[in-house]
Amino acid sequence: MNLLESVGAGARDMASHKGRAVITIIGIVLGTASVVAVLSLMRGGEKQTEDFFDEMGGLREVRITNTHSHTLFETAAERASERLTYRDAQAIRRECPSVLTVDPEITRFLTVSYGEKTFQMKLLGTNRDYPHADNMPVAEGRFISDKDCENYANVIMMGPTYRDDLFGEEEAIGKTITVQGIPFEVVGIMQKKEFYFEGSGGSDRNVLEWFNRSHYIPITTMIRRFTVNDRLDGLEISAVSLEAVPALIEEANRVLLRRHGVEDFNVESKSDQIQQRNEQEAFFNIIFWAVAFVSLFVGGVVIANIMLASITERIREIGVRKAIGATGRDVFMQFLVEALVVTASGGAFGLLLGLGLVAATDKLLNMPTAVTPGILLIAFACSVAVGVIFGLFPAIRAARLDPVEALRYQ
Amino acid sequence: MLIRTENVTKIYELGAVEVRALRGVTFGIEEGEYVAIMGPSGSGKSTLMHILGCLDTPSTGRYFLNGTEVSELHGRALARVRNQEIGFVFQNFNLMPRVDLVANVALPLVYHGGINRADRRKQAVSALDSVGLGHRLKHRPNELSGGERQRASIARALVTEPSILLADEPTGNLDQKTGREIMALLDELSAAGKTVILVTHDSNVAAHARRTVEIEDGAIAREGRA
Repeated sequence: MNLLESVGAGARDMASHKGRAVITIIGIVLGTASVVAVLSLMRGGEKQTEDFFDEMGGLREVRITNTHSHTLFETAAERASERLTYRDAQAIRRECPSVLTVDPEITRFLTVSYGEKTFQMKLLGTNRDYPHADNMPVAEGRFISDKDCENYANVIMMGPTYRDDLFGEEEAIGKTITVQGIPFEVVGIMQKKEFYFEGSGGSDRNVLEWFNRSHYIPITTMIRRFTVNDRLDGLEISAVSLEAVPALIEEANRVLLRRHGVEDFNVESKSDQIQQRNEQEAFFNIIFWAVAFVSLFVGGVVIANIMLASITERIREIGVRKAIGATGRDVFMQFLVEALVVTASGGAFGLLLGLGLVAATDKLLNMPTAVTPGILLIAFACSVAVGVIFGLFPAIRAARLDPVEALRYQ
Repeated sequence: MLIRTENVTKIYELGAVEVRALRGVTFGIEEGEYVAIMGPSGSGKSTLMHILGCLDTPSTGRYFLNGTEVSELHGRALARVRNQEIGFVFQNFNLMPRVDLVANVALPLVYHGGINRADRRKQAVSALDSVGLGHRLKHRPNELSGGERQRASIARALVTEPSILLADEPTGNLDQKTGREIMALLDELSAAGKTVILVTHDSNVAAHARRTVEIEDGAIAREGRA
């Protein structure tokens, strides 16, 4: 008997035992649906993390940070190193072929005044690559330009949060404010940046509000006016393409190692950070998996149970089949295929139910979800695997029945 | 000689008790013979039928079918012999209830392997025609009378053109008139050259055969020829 005939026979047998088939299928439908739901929730969480990083500057970005010596005493080379400097940033821009943007940052909290109003505000010294590297559009005016950096210009780009506090209804562009008593011209206002994590009660908190409260001046102006050296608080660079990220990491490492003489820095891509975050979430994924696994297992036990019952009901039939020439393998295949037909159709219904569950979770619980073809494939494969695993034992039992005993069975 | 048994025994172990169902049976059946194996229940005739039908193997002794020593065979090989050499006719027909007669009769050909669906169907229809059921092809067993079911069961036994037709109480579940019709059909098949073995306790049925073998207490007690 070939496979196609076995499948046909399995389907016919299922159709002729509708009640039994429905009960068997329910278990698999629920199991498959929960796998779909669980994987979609997990994928949704991952995707949200990716979106968050994307909003923060995309996956092409590479972050360079100072690292601290892990030994008790600094070596001479470590002591001699100036750490990350603005000159490092310029060297990277000159020497790394894979680099697209270079965004050095120096942050200071400074006193900003306009007329009678005075605030302590966070100022970032940076350059024209900042909005590009960090994916930040401009609402009014313009950002810091290369010319501003060359000329040590006293210009400031303001975050949107303080704009109304300082200027109210007035036009902001072209106004002069003072920073530590030094006059600066307002050349632009950033667009408001927002990101809310869905679910888990934190949906009203804008996790990117700190962007909106930051202001920007040319990094050269920052170094000349407000700092004693050109040491950076942060250096973010981006690659010309996603594929070029590994090359850029290597190039940046080489340039910095040559300049510092010691590895007192760390070069890390955004995708490494995402991976770390996903690893942290793995624990929750285990719980999700356990739920899905239990549902599928219960479905499998139901199948095994009902198939064993159906074998008892069909002992005579098995005896007759063997008497007219069925081998143990023929009988085994017949029962295994029947289990597979049941679980595969249950799996198909389960996919539909799972998609429904996912849509409902998305709408009613406001949880992030994402369904991919891969998820559907995995869920379906799980249901078929359950069919094989739990169909195996009853099928082996049926195959091993002694024909004489089976024919005698009433 | 089509069938030859040499000192065949069958011993069942039921817990600590040994049951000797056959105590050394030696006999032979020629091709084309019409034989009845008789005996009361518990005599061992069912055990002998199971061994002759290759459903079971002897504990000791040898059994040759068509020149092959089948007492040496097991599992797959034995299934193949059952499929190609033996046609079973059961007392209670044992048709598959959920499929029509053509599918029922074609089933041994499915297990035979290597015959496509259309050919299997053609052979099944021709076997059903030969037992007078050409007009019932699409019916399911529960839509047929007892006699028709037994005819279908004979058609299924014939479809692989086996060497032996092995009929176990073929009239046991039928009324007298229908039983006579079924016996007439078996007589016809025998007359056409088929080797037919009847297993029965009914002397009226056994009377159709040209030779009787009586089993008592696990051994051949008497043999007779008509």
